[in-house]
Amino acid sequence: MSAPLLETHESHTVSEHGQTPAPRANAPLLEVRNLTKFFPVRAGVFLRKVGDVHAVDDVSFTLDRGETLGLVGESGCGKSTVGKTILNLLRPTAGQVLFEGRDLGTLSHAEWRAMRRDIQIVFQDPMESLNARHTVGQILEEPFVIHKLGTPEARNVWARDLLERVGLPRSAVSRFPHEFSGGQRQRIGIARAIALRPKLIICDEAVSALDVSVRAQIINLLLELQRDMELALLFIAHDLAVVRHISNEVAVMYLGRIVERAPSRDIYERPSHPYTQALVSAIPLPDPDRDRDRIVLEGDVPSPISPPTGCRFHTRCTYALEVCEAKTPEWEPVSERQQVACHRWRELR
Amino acid sequence: MAEPILRVDNLCCGFHTEDGYIRVVDGVSFECEAGKTLGLVGESGCGKTVSALAVMGLLPQPAGVVEEGRILFRGEDLASTSHETMRVVRGQKIGMIFQEPMTALNPVHRVGKQLFEALRLYGSGRDQDEPAVAGGAALGRRNRRGRRLYESRSEKDELTARAVEQLEQVGIPDPVRRLREYPHQLSGGMRQRVMIAMALAGQPDILIADEPTTALDVTVQAQILDLLRELQQARGMTMIFITHDLGVVAEFCDEVLVMYAGRIAERAPVGQLFKMPRHPYTRGLIESLPRMDTPSRTPLNTIEGVVPKLTEMPAGCRFSNRCAYADERCGREVPVLESCAQPGAVGEPRDPKRSGEAQAAEPRDPKRSGEAEAAEPRDLKRSGEGEAAEPRAVRHEVACHHWQRLAA
Repeated sequence: MSAPLLETHESHTVSEHGQTPAPRANAPLLEVRNLTKFFPVRAGVFLRKVGDVHAVDDVSFTLDRGETLGLVGESGCGKSTVGKTILNLLRPTAGQVLFEGRDLGTLSHAEWRAMRRDIQIVFQDPMESLNARHTVGQILEEPFVIHKLGTPEARNVWARDLLERVGLPRSAVSRFPHEFSGGQRQRIGIARAIALRPKLIICDEAVSALDVSVRAQIINLLLELQRDMELALLFIAHDLAVVRHISNEVAVMYLGRIVERAPSRDIYERPSHPYTQALVSAIPLPDPDRDRDRIVLEGDVPSPISPPTGCRFHTRCTYALEVCEAKTPEWEPVSERQQVACHRWRELR
Repeated sequence: MAEPILRVDNLCCGFHTEDGYIRVVDGVSFECEAGKTLGLVGESGCGKTVSALAVMGLLPQPAGVVEEGRILFRGEDLASTSHETMRVVRGQKIGMIFQEPMTALNPVHRVGKQLFEALRLYGSGRDQDEPAVAGGAALGRRNRRGRRLYESRSEKDELTARAVEQLEQVGIPDPVRRLREYPHQLSGGMRQRVMIAMALAGQPDILIADEPTTALDVTVQAQILDLLRELQQARGMTMIFITHDLGVVAEFCDEVLVMYAGRIAERAPVGQLFKMPRHPYTRGLIESLPRMDTPSRTPLNTIEGVVPKLTEMPAGCRFSNRCAYADERCGREVPVLESCAQPGAVGEPRDPKRSGEAQAAEPRDPKRSGEAEAAEPRDLKRSGEGEAAEPRAVRHEVACHHWQRLAA
């Protein structure tokens, strides 16, 4: 698998800009196996390690080409860490990330460079992720420069094409990021992410900072690009309504673990995990006549430095029994595509 | 309808910038009915926060200017009042909580100290007979003179007891320990609770909440909204709730003002707003929401384009360059707020006591958002209404030349 990737990278020419090798048919595009990321907590004069922040603990999922997996959870649940670990911006403590069947943990520096053509990321705040001193043209040409693609003239044309693709005027190449509104900047961020025709884009709270009407525009753009380019999206966000809208499947995280995974329709219509139920019921709906039984969770999320034993949600769960404290719940299938990690989901339905 | 506790008339304010004066809020008028929640909705830069800051007299100085308009709190114009009076009004008449409690709280002082400050400044409850101005002067002096938080052991004990009470009231567990902690030791939800406790220390009549839950997670947001609702009911407090989240508006507010580019686009009871939005902008906003109960992965309706820069606003309706219904008149003529309620429509679906009888909507003064002089005759009419205390009619107003086409 490694050879063809590198080959194309080197033999890349102007005409075949964007061509990447055919995927291995049997492997999913992205497979995350038992991914774990701990951050050490140090204290004292000698910065002795006194504990670990259990940011991501034993997270597994797969994502097929052209599909969207939504990763939803509250702040501090580890969803962004999952995204960064996949991209190797953070080294996983344990577990594997497989991309087209290939273990990303074994790649050399040079191989990673090539791999990043296939996996891109869009961040929440485009003002921070776009270089304020570069023109939009420079920003959009940079991926091609890094990967040694094309001539300067060709790169300029591609940058203009990219702008057009994301709904900005071609003339925007000569302007600077600060001249654009938040939504337009996020379009530039997306243009940069699709420049190398990746197979997977990780959207880390990519629409969270945007106003409602602009957010809808960006969501539509992502859906359109995904359809046209057969992109897979790992859509990380805290807003369940947005995640549900854009995703085929949704995984709900709580305190470093995925507690439920379901097709996006089912996550709203029949959430099985008590946390998912609380999360769904807490979303304010733009419908004043609807009366809902709201589940209001008590207290705050416990510290990820010493997370609760057993099911991590048991300290706030109204249905918790002794078994929930003693034993980590196993994954159980609710239906063909819906899985839940809860001891009592059957009784709660 | 009772006399509104707060009335804002034709408020225009703006900022002096390097590029000259820019008007940010352009002729905003609204009333707050006592004990109710008024929602101020709009996207960033629409002037909702600036309007609220103007009411509080907190526009950044010297750049911020209230050009014209009146802010009447129980009949007293706050826009032209003295600093001393404003000191009393702020906190004891109108309290405010902000979006990001971490920036509103002082990070180098313990929670207790900050709460003591508020409690001490506001004294032991309000003396209703004392005129506001005199009270303000006295409080101001005491505050400037006394740098210590408390003069004696007994005062400290009293303040602690009251602070604990305040924290308990906003649902903070183990308040004695929390008083000794710094803001960074608290979670986001806890910090917002502390902010609410501080804002309520002066027992204000009106609480302005500026995006109080935007920085919070949904489950914490649900907790804070529940808390605010409880406190409002217990104290009969009036609230102005500023948010961009239409979901929160639908669940929390009684009446809603939709703002666009510094002007009011639509004003409606919350039920009406979502059932029959009359302004193309309101409709666009509601339709562009991804909803939990609609099919996923379908294109959302959007409002094309972006909000124009404040310096490049269209001459007429400010929404005209993004509006599908716009014609040549929209680009030329500023639409005024006019009533678009259906005769016989009944407001307030949440309050069954009131929804019994209906009353046709009174046609509104067409010059409403136009000139300041329109305010006078309207005042008289309004106070007459107040005495009648009849069941409310739906007050649904829209600033659009073509709302009838939309309604059809």
